[in-house]
Amino acid sequence: MKGRLGRALVLALPWSWMALFFVVPFVIVLTIAFAEPSEGLPPYTPLWRWTEEGGPIIQLNLANFRLFLEDPFYLEAGLRSLRVAAVSATLCLLVGYPMALAIARAPERWRTLLLMLVILPFWTSFLLRITAWIGILQDQGWLNGALLALGVIQEPLQLLYTDIALYLGVTYCYLPFMVLPLYATLSKLDPALLEAAEDLGARPSRAFLQVTLPLSMPGVVAGFLLVFIPAVGEFVIPELLGGPDAQLVGRVLWMEFFQNRDWPLASALAVVLLLLLVAPIAIFQARAAREAA
Amino acid sequence: MMRRVAVMAALLVSICLSPNAQAQPQQVVNVFNWNDYIDPYMVQRFVRETGIRVRYDIYDSLETLEGRMSAGRTGYDIVVPTSEPTFSRLARAGAFRPLDRSLIPNLANIDPALQQQVASADPENRFGALYLYGTIGLGINVDRVRALAPDAPMDSLRLLLDPANARRLRACGIVMMDSAADVIPMVLRYLGKDPNSTAPEDLRDVERTLMTIRPFIRAFSSGGVIEALAGGQFCMAFAYSGDVIQAAARAEEANRGVTIQYVAPKEGAQLWFDLLAIPADAPNPEAAHAFINFLLQPDVMANITNHVRYPNGVPASRPLVAAEVANDPSVFPTDEMRARFFTIGAVPQAAERARNRVWARFKAGR
Amino acid sequence: MSSTAAEQPKSPVAARPGAAEPWRDPAADPFLRIEGVTKRFEGYVALDAVTLPIYRGELFALLGASGSGKSTLLRCLAGFIEPDAGRIVLDGQDLAGVPPYERPINMMFQSYALFPHMTVAQNIGFGLRQEGASKSVIADRVAEMLALVRMEGFGGRKPAALSGGQKARVALARALAKRPKLLLLDEPLSALDKNLREATQFELVNIQERTGTTFVIVTHDQEEAMTMATRLAVMDRGTLAQVGTPGEVYEFPNSRFTAEFLGTANILEGVVEAADDQATRIGSSELDFDILAEPGALKPVGSRAYVAIRPERMRIERTDAATPLGDNRLVGRVRDIAYFGDFFMYYVVLDNGKEIRVSQPNLRRMTARPVDWEDRVAVTWDAEASMVLPE
Repeated sequence: MKGRLGRALVLALPWSWMALFFVVPFVIVLTIAFAEPSEGLPPYTPLWRWTEEGGPIIQLNLANFRLFLEDPFYLEAGLRSLRVAAVSATLCLLVGYPMALAIARAPERWRTLLLMLVILPFWTSFLLRITAWIGILQDQGWLNGALLALGVIQEPLQLLYTDIALYLGVTYCYLPFMVLPLYATLSKLDPALLEAAEDLGARPSRAFLQVTLPLSMPGVVAGFLLVFIPAVGEFVIPELLGGPDAQLVGRVLWMEFFQNRDWPLASALAVVLLLLLVAPIAIFQARAAREAA
Repeated sequence: MMRRVAVMAALLVSICLSPNAQAQPQQVVNVFNWNDYIDPYMVQRFVRETGIRVRYDIYDSLETLEGRMSAGRTGYDIVVPTSEPTFSRLARAGAFRPLDRSLIPNLANIDPALQQQVASADPENRFGALYLYGTIGLGINVDRVRALAPDAPMDSLRLLLDPANARRLRACGIVMMDSAADVIPMVLRYLGKDPNSTAPEDLRDVERTLMTIRPFIRAFSSGGVIEALAGGQFCMAFAYSGDVIQAAARAEEANRGVTIQYVAPKEGAQLWFDLLAIPADAPNPEAAHAFINFLLQPDVMANITNHVRYPNGVPASRPLVAAEVANDPSVFPTDEMRARFFTIGAVPQAAERARNRVWARFKAGR
Repeated sequence: MSSTAAEQPKSPVAARPGAAEPWRDPAADPFLRIEGVTKRFEGYVALDAVTLPIYRGELFALLGASGSGKSTLLRCLAGFIEPDAGRIVLDGQDLAGVPPYERPINMMFQSYALFPHMTVAQNIGFGLRQEGASKSVIADRVAEMLALVRMEGFGGRKPAALSGGQKARVALARALAKRPKLLLLDEPLSALDKNLREATQFELVNIQERTGTTFVIVTHDQEEAMTMATRLAVMDRGTLAQVGTPGEVYEFPNSRFTAEFLGTANILEGVVEAADDQATRIGSSELDFDILAEPGALKPVGSRAYVAIRPERMRIERTDAATPLGDNRLVGRVRDIAYFGDFFMYYVVLDNGKEIRVSQPNLRRMTARPVDWEDRVAVTWDAEASMVLPE
């Protein structure tokens, strides 16, 4: 009896955590998403009110969701965000995979140090790191200064406030999220498998493609999602490094919330974004579960 | 820059070591103000004179302020919204506490004519006390703009909105304030239309005009352009008057050959008023009233104007303002200039979305 | 009996009936020549000038404790390690500088190293795919290999769905699929339990004979080496302690090391007192008795010699306290008896404290042991059981 109670408590803890910090906020956002904007505090209509007879009337305003389908602006921002996130995640993969592989194959005594170096930037403030990139990339920045001094270029390249800076910033900030899961899978890979592939006639490049790469796919997918999902909604990096044409979902959300003061529309957008992002994770999870079975 | 850091440090120290020998619980006032919008020494003085501790926080856009005010329970005792559209909208929504005039005897110091002017946003001046006001215009790096566009008019919005000029200034850097509410009325006025127009065809014209210069704009700024202008990173800014004038002062101080000048365009410059107000749910309304009353003293206002280069609403401060500021027509405009200023009103939400959409497309360049 | 056997009259039969013994033929050309192969790692020599000819069709076992260098030698053959000195020649081809993926050698790994993301068929076909073999060729060969290891019908499974023995068969099939000139087996059966291991040993030998492939197998399990190998090499600290057929090494160990490593041996120490055509007599330097051995011991009179006697070649009987030591007779007390089911091992403590192991077959069911704990016993053996160690 006591054991059952204990087990119930142990189970209740994570569930109440989920309820408190995910379900409740989500339901609040969801209710706002079905409201209508109004001038007042808070600036939207209540979802339900009492009739004179004392019964509740619930009004669901679906116009916000309809607007996403009718107005290409939101779709474009969404697609652009997906593109930025996909390109950034791909860049992270291209940079992070060799890093993770090198760390996984480094001598044991070096690995901890190398992993530390990957994580180390996280010990400084995120904003500070982005600001440092501004210092590097701006017209009078270090990079342009170095290129000018070397005579590679005659006048400063515009790097800051371009897509280059945006991708650089996102890739830089999210790289550890790619390297760590990749390292986790690659370091668990039995080295004998690669030897077996070579022994059976596969050159190192083919052994990589046929053995290392497919076996590291769980890490690739995990890393990709870990970069892709937060990058879709990324607001700060595009604001600080990206060009003004970077109308991403995060920016649109901000605009609806702050500039247009349309909390219901902003909430609806957040809900749609969340559902769109949860879907691939759910698919990935389901696939992983099926494979494990 | 160093001076500023020193001042801020002094301010922090003063806040921490505020004189409070009394046993009574320490009073606090939580201030939420624009960035670069006060003389830190005056805050220090307030603490010294009243024994009330100041927690000072800043915002860089009306949107930030309004977003937090709309959510409620900001914990702030003093906010400084612009009369239109933010102040009027928040006032209508019931976000402010009416000022207790008996606690602010210095309200009498405010120029009645100016009070009259802001009454359209704040009927009977119930909620707000005029703090500073200013215009929106162009900040230019005189030498570099002259060099690149010698034949362009220096007193007109054409310097920026004519693509032939903007194209030439692209090389030295154009920065645009990231504020649809501030820029679009200016462009409407430039095109000879009602700055409050919400007509779709007018907005289309605005968009067309803005798009012609879009390729030449290097950045959109929401945090003020003072450093960027003073440091020479940009040679042309669409900005608030005081920011540009502060940048000019800072450039002069740095003495690196950068001369910055503020231009209130002859086509018309938007005139705006920032009001001191107390949120309805302010935790320390008494201290807030004391803070407002303190600021409205002529000598305090003079110091603030000296520091931030925006004119204030207290005429008695004028003789106390430093001569080079008082005589700067870009700070205190002449009557002739004043005639070209215009004010804006609030627009309906649907029109605002249309404006913001124009703005978004403009920023995106497509 | 061949003429070569006649030169060594006491040589046991060949490892397998009917198998050729090319290593006895000085004219035979080794298929694999390992010549002076040396490999140093930080701080120690893993292989010290190892020279070893291996002949076509052999199942050669490298036997040794861990750290003896057997795995290093195998990895040199596979190409994963490049020797510091010496050369390896396979079927006339010097393998120096030839990367693993170009060697006509395949390996069955200790962990099997089956690719977990591929089916059994894909695993077996992997090597052929690297050569660019056509789909039908691959399919045929995979089917052939599955039949060879009796795994028909398992081609579509993933390795995770196989038992240990099945994995071992797939690993073997994969290593044989390219018809390598040389197959290396690294502790191939160490992961299997005893019964399965014994069954699989015979199967491996069977497959080796059917395919005619030359096998080099690394093992630390002497039984495995003894039952499977045509010849074996006992390795010790990077050198070959002894090379020979299992029978030769067991019956004619050339050193204390091999005598004690392969099987169990009681080692006695003495000085050669007489060596004539009747017998070799060695005076024990530990106890007051003589050890008789067959004539023809390699040691001259007066030299020190070690004699190894296998426990199963000794007899044990109860005796009384008065029984003296004698030629090939030791007297002691039974300290312990270990029951193995098929035999007993008696641990006899001699008067000088030395311990001798004597094993007796368990010939009759449920009879009282003739000798019991703490009994005073005499241990005797025949002269031919005394193996005089050359070193």
